[in-house]
Amino acid sequence: MTLALIGEDFVRALLQGTPPGTVYALIGLGFVLTYKTSGVFNLAFGAQAYISAAMFFKARQEWGWGIVPAVVLSVFVIAPAIGLTLERLIFRNLRTASAVSKLVIAIGLSVALPALFELIADYKPVAGRTPTGIVPDGSSVFYDPTGVYPFSRDELAQIIVAGVGVILLGAMFRFTSMGLAMRGVVESPRMTELAGIPADRVSALAWAISSIFAGMAGVLIAPRLNTLISNDFFTLMVLAMAAAAVGRLVSLPGAFFGGMGLGWFIAVFNTYLPRWADDHTWLEPFKDNLTPSLPFVVLFGILVFWPAIRRAVDAADPLSGVDPPPPALAATTRHPLLTLQTRIFGVCFLGLVGWLGFTQADVRWIALLSTATVLSIIYLSITVITGFAGQISLCQGAFAAIGAFTVFQLVDRYDMSALTAALIGAAIAAVVGAIVALPVLKLGGVWLAIATLAFAFFFDAVIVKFSWVGGGESALFSGTQVPRPVIGPFDFGESDRAFLALAVIVLVIVSVAVIQLREGTIGQSLRALRSSEVAAESIGISPARARIVAFAVSAFIAGLGGAFLAMLEGDVNYPKNFSPVAAMFWLVLVVSLSARTVEGAIQAGAAFALFSPVILEGSFLEWLPYFNEDNLPGIFPISAKWRFVLFGLTAIQFARHPEGMLEFGKRRATQKRNDRYYARDAERAAAPEAAT
Amino acid sequence: MTAVLESEVITKTFSGIQALSDVSIRVDAGERVGLIGPNGAGKTTFFNCLLGILAPDSGTVQFQGRDISSYPVHKRARAGIGRTFQRIELFSDTSVREHLLIAERVHNGTGAFWKDLIGLGRPRRDEIDRCDDVLDLLGLLDLADEPIEALSLGQGRLVEVGRALMTEPTLLLLDEPSSGLDRDETTALATTLRAVQAEKGFAILLVEHDVELVADFTERLYVLDFGSLIAEGPTASTLAMPAVRHAYLGNLEVSDG
Repeated sequence: MTLALIGEDFVRALLQGTPPGTVYALIGLGFVLTYKTSGVFNLAFGAQAYISAAMFFKARQEWGWGIVPAVVLSVFVIAPAIGLTLERLIFRNLRTASAVSKLVIAIGLSVALPALFELIADYKPVAGRTPTGIVPDGSSVFYDPTGVYPFSRDELAQIIVAGVGVILLGAMFRFTSMGLAMRGVVESPRMTELAGIPADRVSALAWAISSIFAGMAGVLIAPRLNTLISNDFFTLMVLAMAAAAVGRLVSLPGAFFGGMGLGWFIAVFNTYLPRWADDHTWLEPFKDNLTPSLPFVVLFGILVFWPAIRRAVDAADPLSGVDPPPPALAATTRHPLLTLQTRIFGVCFLGLVGWLGFTQADVRWIALLSTATVLSIIYLSITVITGFAGQISLCQGAFAAIGAFTVFQLVDRYDMSALTAALIGAAIAAVVGAIVALPVLKLGGVWLAIATLAFAFFFDAVIVKFSWVGGGESALFSGTQVPRPVIGPFDFGESDRAFLALAVIVLVIVSVAVIQLREGTIGQSLRALRSSEVAAESIGISPARARIVAFAVSAFIAGLGGAFLAMLEGDVNYPKNFSPVAAMFWLVLVVSLSARTVEGAIQAGAAFALFSPVILEGSFLEWLPYFNEDNLPGIFPISAKWRFVLFGLTAIQFARHPEGMLEFGKRRATQKRNDRYYARDAERAAAPEAAT
Repeated sequence: MTAVLESEVITKTFSGIQALSDVSIRVDAGERVGLIGPNGAGKTTFFNCLLGILAPDSGTVQFQGRDISSYPVHKRARAGIGRTFQRIELFSDTSVREHLLIAERVHNGTGAFWKDLIGLGRPRRDEIDRCDDVLDLLGLLDLADEPIEALSLGQGRLVEVGRALMTEPTLLLLDEPSSGLDRDETTALATTLRAVQAEKGFAILLVEHDVELVADFTERLYVLDFGSLIAEGPTASTLAMPAVRHAYLGNLEVSDG
């Protein structure tokens, strides 16, 4: 009777949404636990879920283990081991670091961990080998209590296991002394510590539990995927982030109901949207595209509209301290003589690279140098938003893609000049950047990072697929050709060398513009905002305006760089170049080298383009007399995945050296030599006095 | 005299606790006014309502005849309200002169973005000169190139004053400027402030609990206790009022006196 009243479809949707909902809730709880007990918003949970799922898959299908030992290994041994290792080696030492530093480290880990696992465990995702769940014959119908929705055995296992996990967590909180201590830490970490409760142990336990939850969620969700690849687990993690955001990242019940609600909401939406689309034709393009992106829309919506979050902003960083301000740039502290030397060296070095590039380099080297140049342009966008404004943006890939797709569309449809189209694309990216930033700017810090990540995934799942952006599904596969510009007598498509020259010119212009902004009023305002927002406001600086300008400029540069990357490759190559996960790696790369200087961005561009072919493939040995292409030592080529591992792990240094490793090294070297020069100056000054 | 600042019946409650009730004050042009009260009287809350950091439940703030109640913090600053901080707030990794320069350039910064791009964002000679004038006035010229980390607390307060002065305020709000300073430093600060005010002619609202500084420095006084004004008037006579002495010193001291 009741069934008929509220509609059979609706009930079916709720039932259908329950199993994934419990899994989202599981990771959502993990987010809240670690965030509240150690102040880390652990974006690496996606990676941890992936590792457990892949471990389970490997144990089952390659080693032929039984279900129970495979679960024990992947969920109860590997998962907590990773969590405890991270807690002990990294995050425990960073309790007083700012929430943003911890976030950058977590992003670095989420880039490094999957690659590291794949290298160590020698795991390769193979298409067509479908993962199985923790019950035999999981896809068969187990039980159909209402005759409305038949639960499969896998789904039932998801509900039961996740449910038991949540109940155990609740019971532990309610009935054990450790649970009481943890509840205390969650409520007020500092007070609990004052009361003599070992907060370290509590946070270690929280990490172990939430890592088990993440690993369990990974194993449970795996049967829903066709192939186990790490990117899918980022999507899962974003869903769990939305669940945690419902609880303002701090409420456990909020995260639980957030996860359940999300599961239900998505299922209901998926049920009804196709029908609405039948009635209202304008919904048609959304029908296929909106569904996979619903979680990101929900997450973005929650961040913008959930009133509790506005209030949570100040209180949300339970343990975070304030990072000491980044030290002065090495370049500004140099002794005049050292500055001169650096400049002479710099000019010689650039001259040498230029000479080699334009006269000696072969096709392959020109391609590498062009890639490095174009990526440097894109990375300058990170210099602006992260280096100057101190904000973490994870949607630079989307901005770059907007530039690239604009060129593709305008040239394809209106036969426009590619260079004009690139500028228009950059301008569109700037507008989109400002629009994205507008509603979430007040949030700042961790919340801004989450919101930009949501936008990046939304762009990836929906906007790219529209025919007026990515050219429709077919174009994404068959190719989104982008020509190179022709200016007067120069056809940059004819000569790779000429295109490299054009890219270098654009890089120089953008670099100069970025330096001008840094030294000008905008840059100074952003610097003032970073060190004291209240003081900056007291002299009339509008935080929102300054940050929107930073966002728009950053998006403009990213769009321009993206357009050039597309022109260089002759194709947008969206999945390879601009996916949210690729953009995450950009951020990691730039902040781990140096986010505050223009050189840092260029070095990051060079590192991205050259590290793998030159170092990992062993090409550098060919410069030595003995080696050539055929007799490289057996360890080469080293897997390109080491790139992710190396730079991802370098990001761990962010809390201690927020200026980046290169800048840190430069500063130390500068200091040493400065000391020497100044000592000599002092001697000289003293010498004539002694003579008189 | 024209009123520079008028706050009318400002009321603020925090989860049921009446932090401010019907507080109305007025500061005239060029005047030095004090706002005092024991700890917990609502001084800081009131201050934050004036500056737009907190939104009062009711009441308005008028500044130079304009209702600025709906202005955000930075807009009030642009309208001409300068301030200093109780816990000193300076920009790290910046010299004393750079502090004033950034304020000067933000103050005059229309179309900053395009100017920055074509290189006009760098400080001009006349901007540097204006900063140096103010530094001279505050006696900080010798320290102009020092990093702010090298300054004493008293000097840091003066840098805050200088930074606020670059925005040419018509009203300067001083939030407990004596906190952390000893008697001599406080006296020196008051002397400098008086000299600067004589030169520039802005009004000062001093929020303070150091009664000696208030007695010495201000012309008129408002006294807050438990969120309400309990007295107002010329400084000397107001400080002598029994209600004020009672609020400040308690029963025992009064009977002793």
